Amino acid sequence: MSPNILQKYSTGSFHFPIKAGIDNILVNKDSILDVTQKIKEDEDLLYDQLIDITVTDNMLSKSSYAQERFTLIYSFLSLKFNKRLFIFANISEDNLNINSITQIFESADWFERECYDLFGINFINHPNLQRIMNDYTFQGHPLRKDFPLTGYEEVRYDENIKKVVYEPVTLKQEFRDFDNESPWEGMKETIKEELGK
Amino acid sequence: MSENFKPVTLNFGPQHPAAHGVLRLLVQLEGEVVNKAEPHIGLLHRGTEKLIEQKTYTQAIPYFDRLDYVSPMCQEHAFALAVENLLNIEAPKRAQYIRVMFAEVTRILNHLLNIPAFAMDIGAATPMLWAFEEREKMLEFHEAVSGARFHAAYFRPGGVHQDLPENLLEKMKNYFSNFPKFIDTLEELLTENRIFKQRSVDIGILKKDDAIRLSCSGPVLRASGVAWDLRKSQPYDVYSDIDFDIPVGKTGDTYDRYLVRMEEMRESVKIILQCIDNIPQGPVMVENNKITPPKRSEMKNSMEAIIHHFKLFTEGYRVPEGITYKSVEAPKGEFGVVLVADGSSKPYRCKLRAPGFVHLQALHFLSKGHQLADLPSILGSLDIVFGEVDR
Repeated sequence: MSPNILQKYSTGSFHFPIKAGIDNILVNKDSILDVTQKIKEDEDLLYDQLIDITVTDNMLSKSSYAQERFTLIYSFLSLKFNKRLFIFANISEDNLNINSITQIFESADWFERECYDLFGINFINHPNLQRIMNDYTFQGHPLRKDFPLTGYEEVRYDENIKKVVYEPVTLKQEFRDFDNESPWEGMKETIKEELGK
Repeated sequence: MSENFKPVTLNFGPQHPAAHGVLRLLVQLEGEVVNKAEPHIGLLHRGTEKLIEQKTYTQAIPYFDRLDYVSPMCQEHAFALAVENLLNIEAPKRAQYIRVMFAEVTRILNHLLNIPAFAMDIGAATPMLWAFEEREKMLEFHEAVSGARFHAAYFRPGGVHQDLPENLLEKMKNYFSNFPKFIDTLEELLTENRIFKQRSVDIGILKKDDAIRLSCSGPVLRASGVAWDLRKSQPYDVYSDIDFDIPVGKTGDTYDRYLVRMEEMRESVKIILQCIDNIPQGPVMVENNKITPPKRSEMKNSMEAIIHHFKLFTEGYRVPEGITYKSVEAPKGEFGVVLVADGSSKPYRCKLRAPGFVHLQALHFLSKGHQLADLPSILGSLDIVFGEVDR
């Protein structure tokens, strides 16, 4: 039933490689408020619960849907029809703004704060857009692909000055990042690339 | 209220026995009445999602035990289902029964921690001691199958790590047939207890509409009168073959949440006993050595088995490109995994949807207008564990 009804809200084709049989649409980020309002109120959809808001950083992704740096993933659930819906919205690196949906789904508050904290997405009209997971003075957005796993700063309690101090990270041992990907299947790709030339 | 009262802001936590971990609450009080309760979380943030991106799919499993550390196996379950969905495989029937059985053991374990902790917050110390004795007995079953009391890493994509040890089913049947008696004695202590009821009835009422609006799930949603359980509405593994009921509350106060959890334990016992009776023989892991490691004995004789073993524990298995979302009815509510795979042997992105995160968000709504002394009662009834809230 849903694809036809949902189609009118979608601004892109259904090319997300999504499994598990979940309905999904791609919307323009400017129309996110409009669409969420409609799917909540539409008698045939009634997506009354917001399950999750999350982001993927497409910086290293080769997938076809990765047209912009970030993809926001909204996940909704309709308790009445027992259906799930994923809404995708692309966000470019130059313009990280998107409208907050807290006025439609109240529980979006912390989810959006989390996306702001970990990815730096800026939600316009959010009531309290502060860091939620990281320290109050934390710099950067750790789940971005260009943020190193070990971070930049480390924290310890200094017995001499009786205070918590922040210092640049020093690794006692070199960061071990093994590349265990099979060279043989990797070879196929390079051969393909060379043939392509 | 007299005009002389100035609102006081109180810093509750992050180290406080009633905070159930490391919760910092900024409570704005007018006299003794809570005006605003603002949770500050993240003190246990370990960057699990970032770490998972750096590990192979097999190495990612132990992180799930450490999210909600009182119900480890249910979270592995969600991850295993998500990876299986992307790999397009299905665990063998025996493995599915084992998983359902242990997911329910985990549910009882979780409720046996939450209920007495909640009771202790509002003044009853005995249930804690009683429940922990039973928990210890149940953790022996955990240990029997996985070798670990808590951090099991037992549910793997494709099945479970090992088959059940001999006689375990008999022991479990013996134990769980008698377990409802323990629930009765626990209920004798609490359900009609005058002090317990005075401190929990009509406290923190969450109406049906509010529960849906605030994205609540699990026992919190059910206590508000919504008959919604993922085990029934979107069944995974063999839940569809099993007969059980969903307890639903009426008023949605903290007392109802306690009652729902109590009933859920009885239903879990029913599920476990049915699994023990119906479990078939057969393999417990998908028999495909491109995904599951070969047996130790095979490796003594077969070169190919050694190669498979080496490849699986260095590179890991590759998961085809795709996005998936799989959720399970964890003891605290809907625990879900959004998994983005890019075709390599590591997850590209793994978002963990924790029920506690959402429930804690509702704390302000629930506690507004209540007295400060009711705050621990509300907090206890929401079943918050910081491992999953902070991730």
